[in-house]
Amino acid sequence: MTSKFRSRATLAVVAASFTLTMSACSMEDPAPAGTAGSSGTGGVGVDLPRADSDFWNAYAGYMPAKAQENGVELTGTTNSQNDVQKLISNIDSLVTQGAKSIVMAPQDTGAIGPKLDELAAKKIPVVTVDTRPDSGNVYMVVRADNRAYGTKACEFLGEKLGGTGKVIEFQGSLSSINGRDRSEAFKECMTTKFPKITVFEEPTEWDGGKAQAALETRLSTDPDIKGVYMQAGGVFLDPTLQVLKQRGLLVPASDPKHIFIVSNDGIPQELDAIRKGEIDATVSQPADTYAGIGLYWAKQAMAGVTPKEGATDHGSNVIKLPNGYEDQLPAPLVTAANVDDAALWGNNKS
Amino acid sequence: MRTMSSSTVERPTAQGPDRTPGGPTRRTRLRLARLRDLALIPPIIALLVYGYTLKPDLFLTKAYLVDTVLKYQAELALVVLAEALVLIVGKFDLSLESIVGIAPAIAVFMAVGNTDAFGAPWPTWTVLPVALVFGGLVGAFNGLLIVKFKLSAFIVTLAMLIALRGLQLALVGGATISNLANRIPVVDYLGSLRVATLPLSIWIVVLCFAVGIVVLGYTRVGRSLYAVGGNPAAARAAGIRVERVVWVTLIVAGVLASFAGLMLSARLGSVAANQGSGMIFTVFAAAVIGGISLDGGKGSLFGALTGVALLGLIQNVLTLAQVKADQIQAVNGLVILVALVLARLTSGKAQD
Repeated sequence: MTSKFRSRATLAVVAASFTLTMSACSMEDPAPAGTAGSSGTGGVGVDLPRADSDFWNAYAGYMPAKAQENGVELTGTTNSQNDVQKLISNIDSLVTQGAKSIVMAPQDTGAIGPKLDELAAKKIPVVTVDTRPDSGNVYMVVRADNRAYGTKACEFLGEKLGGTGKVIEFQGSLSSINGRDRSEAFKECMTTKFPKITVFEEPTEWDGGKAQAALETRLSTDPDIKGVYMQAGGVFLDPTLQVLKQRGLLVPASDPKHIFIVSNDGIPQELDAIRKGEIDATVSQPADTYAGIGLYWAKQAMAGVTPKEGATDHGSNVIKLPNGYEDQLPAPLVTAANVDDAALWGNNKS
Repeated sequence: MRTMSSSTVERPTAQGPDRTPGGPTRRTRLRLARLRDLALIPPIIALLVYGYTLKPDLFLTKAYLVDTVLKYQAELALVVLAEALVLIVGKFDLSLESIVGIAPAIAVFMAVGNTDAFGAPWPTWTVLPVALVFGGLVGAFNGLLIVKFKLSAFIVTLAMLIALRGLQLALVGGATISNLANRIPVVDYLGSLRVATLPLSIWIVVLCFAVGIVVLGYTRVGRSLYAVGGNPAAARAAGIRVERVVWVTLIVAGVLASFAGLMLSARLGSVAANQGSGMIFTVFAAAVIGGISLDGGKGSLFGALTGVALLGLIQNVLTLAQVKADQIQAVNGLVILVALVLARLTSGKAQD
C-alpha cells in the first residue's frame, strides 16, 4: 500500500514538474507580441524550415543580426521541422502574435499554396526564402538559382575530367524542388555538353549513410569513377571522405587516382576540406544573404513598395513570376583559388 | 498491444527450447519452428542469383559481399537485435532510433565539443563507455516508466523518441559534428579496423548475435524472456520475476542501440543531427520479416538476422540494377512484399 502510494506520488511530482516546464515554455511566446504592437510598421514573423541542417542553422544564426541591420522587428521565430502541417500552424501562431509579414522557407512547395492565398487575402505579405512555391501569392521569392548549382558542378567536373569518364551524383530528395532543380540541371548539362561522361544518379533522401553505401557499391562495380557531385555538403562530406580514405583514394589532385569532388552549400567544413585538398569545389549558398535580403524584402513589403524587375543594388536580379517576384541571388563557385575570400559566409563563422 | 490466446501461450515453448516433456507433437512443432527460422533463405538466395546476373564478375566475391553489403547492415543488425529482445519480452521500444543518434552525440560532444561543462573536454577514450552508459540509462528510464509506473511501452518510448531527438538537436545546435576519424582514435578504430580481413563492425555483430542466440536458446534467463512475452501471468506464477526481466531487457536494448549509434558515427566519420532518424521503421520491418512477433513471446534472433540480410541485399541489388531515383522506393516496397510471399510459400507456416 505505502509503496504503491509512494510511486503514485513520485509519478505525480514528475508529471507536475513536467507540466510546469511546459507551461514555462509557452509563457515566453506571448511576450514578443506586445513589443511588436509598439512598432510603427509591425513585426516580421520568421519560420525556419528545419533544425537539423548546418546550412539552416547558419541561416537562423544570422537572423537576429540581420534584423537589427535592416531595422526590422522580429515578432517571433518558429521552426516547422520540415513539416508543412507545422509550418501552417506556426504561421497562424505568428499572425496571432501580431506579425505583419512572414518570412518562410516552405520545403514542400506544392502544399503551401492555399495558405499563401489566405495570407494574401489578409494583406500579410510573404517572402519565401530558398524555395519557390508552385502556386499561391508571394510578395518575393529570395533564392539562389539552384539550377545554376547543378550546371556549375557539371561544368567543373566536365572540365576536370576532360569530357570523358564516370561520375557519381548524390541526389537530394526528389520531393524537394531544390534537389530536383540541381538534379535536372546537372543531367541536362551533362547530356548536352559532356555526352561522353557516364553519370550514376544515386537517390539518397539527404541521408549520408545511403550515399556512402551507394558510393561503396559504385566504386566496387566501376573502380574508374573519377568524379563525385554531392548536392549538399553537411550530410555527404564526412561519409564520402571516409570511404575514399579507406580505399586509399584521398590523394592530391595531381595524382592520377584523384577523384574530383564538387559539393553544394558552402558551409565552413567544406571550405576546410577544399583548403586541405580533400574536395575540389563547392557552390556557396549564401546563408547570410538569404537572411538579410529576406528581411529586406519583408520590410519593403510592409512599407508598401512594389518590386521592380531588373538588377538590384545588392548584386542580384529580380524577375517576375506568375505568382509574384523572385530575387535571384548569385551563388559563387568556390575552389582552392578563392577559398579564403572573406566575402564567403562560410569564412565568417568562427 | 497484445492479445492473449491459448496458442500464444503454447508457442513459446515450441519456438524456444522445450520446457514440457517430449512427445511427437513437440518434435514436429520444433521442426516447423526451425523451418520458420530458415524461411527467408529462399528469397535471399533468389536475390543473390539476381545480383550475380547483374554483375557476374563481382557480385559473389567476398570483397563485394563484405564491403558493400554486410558492412552497411552492421548497425541496423545491432538495433534489430535490441528490438527483437524487447519484442520477444512483449514490449515495444521506439526510442532506440533516437538513442542511435544521441548516445554518440553526447559521448563525442563531451570529448571534442565546444563545452566545458562537467570537466569537458573528456579524454577521447571515454567516448565508448559514455555512449554505452547513456544508452543503458535511457533503457533504465524507459523501464522505470514502463515497469514501475505501468505506462504503455509504446507511448513511453514514442515520447522518448521525440524527446531524445530534441535533446540532441539542442545539444549540438542542429549541426553535424564532423571530422571525427582524425580526432577520436576509438571512432577511427571502430570505423576502419579489420580483424582477420573482416571489418570490426561485422565481428561485433556476429559476436552479439552469437551471445544472444546462446542466451535465448540455452539459458534459463533466455527462456524467461519468451515466457514473459508469451504470458506474463503464467511466467509470474512459474516464479519468474517478470518486472526485472522486462527492465533488464530494456537496458540491454538501450546499450545495444547506443553501440550501434557509435558504430554508425564511426562509419560516417560524423554525427549528423538527424542520425538514426526514421530508422525504427526499417528495424521493425527487419525484425518482423525475420519472424519476430509483435505480440511477444515468439521469434528467433537468427530469423531477425536473416531479415536484416534480406533488406540489405534488396537495397544493394536495387542500386546495382540502377532503378530510377523516383521509382526506387516503390520497387523496394514491392520486392519486400514478394520476398514475404516467397517466404510464406516455402516455409508453409502462417506469418503473424
